[in-house]
Amino acid sequence: MNANTTKPENLKKRVSRSAKQLFIWTFAWVASLALLAFGPKFIWDFHVVVSTTVIFINLGFGYKMVMANIKHINDLDEMMRKIHVEAMALSLGVSVVLGAIYGLLEGIKIITFEPNPSGLLFVMSFSYMIGVALFYRKYA
Amino acid sequence: MKNRLKVLRAERDWTQADLAEALDVSRQTVNAIEKGKFDPSLPLAFKAARLFKMQIEDIFEEE
Repeated sequence: MNANTTKPENLKKRVSRSAKQLFIWTFAWVASLALLAFGPKFIWDFHVVVSTTVIFINLGFGYKMVMANIKHINDLDEMMRKIHVEAMALSLGVSVVLGAIYGLLEGIKIITFEPNPSGLLFVMSFSYMIGVALFYRKYA
Repeated sequence: MKNRLKVLRAERDWTQADLAEALDVSRQTVNAIEKGKFDPSLPLAFKAARLFKMQIEDIFEEE
């Protein structure tokens, strides 16, 4: 069958390329975040100029990662895009609900430690992965 | 929404992968459309109609 010969790039190649770009920028962002977390103490002795420079580098990589994610979602076909949008809705909802209650726990003396915002990132990532798996099954 | 994609595909001896490539979607999407679990967008429905040289209403039918 040769009905698709005029297409410049098929779905598989397009998604593969954008996923690779997303991986590269995510890795760069995580690496720069790790550098910012440990560098001031172990490498540059809390030098403000160096720390500020790394903060801007991290923000730049973060911006590229967000844009790569948007491009990756747009490169998916319409059903896969719907699966990811539904998973994002689930992730956002779960994060808001759990984040709100988590923020209150110390104030109402249920926990004794200060809530850590990084816990919310874990909830967001985990619920997103669960969402993708659930909604993928829905359409399979 | 009901559709005749599976029948039309079988008449041409195409696999789901062949049809997916022609429509520029994944094989899973073709499978979901054939099973009626996912309704395609209007542009995708038009693309399928052009591919099979038929009217949209001859392929897709409201339940």
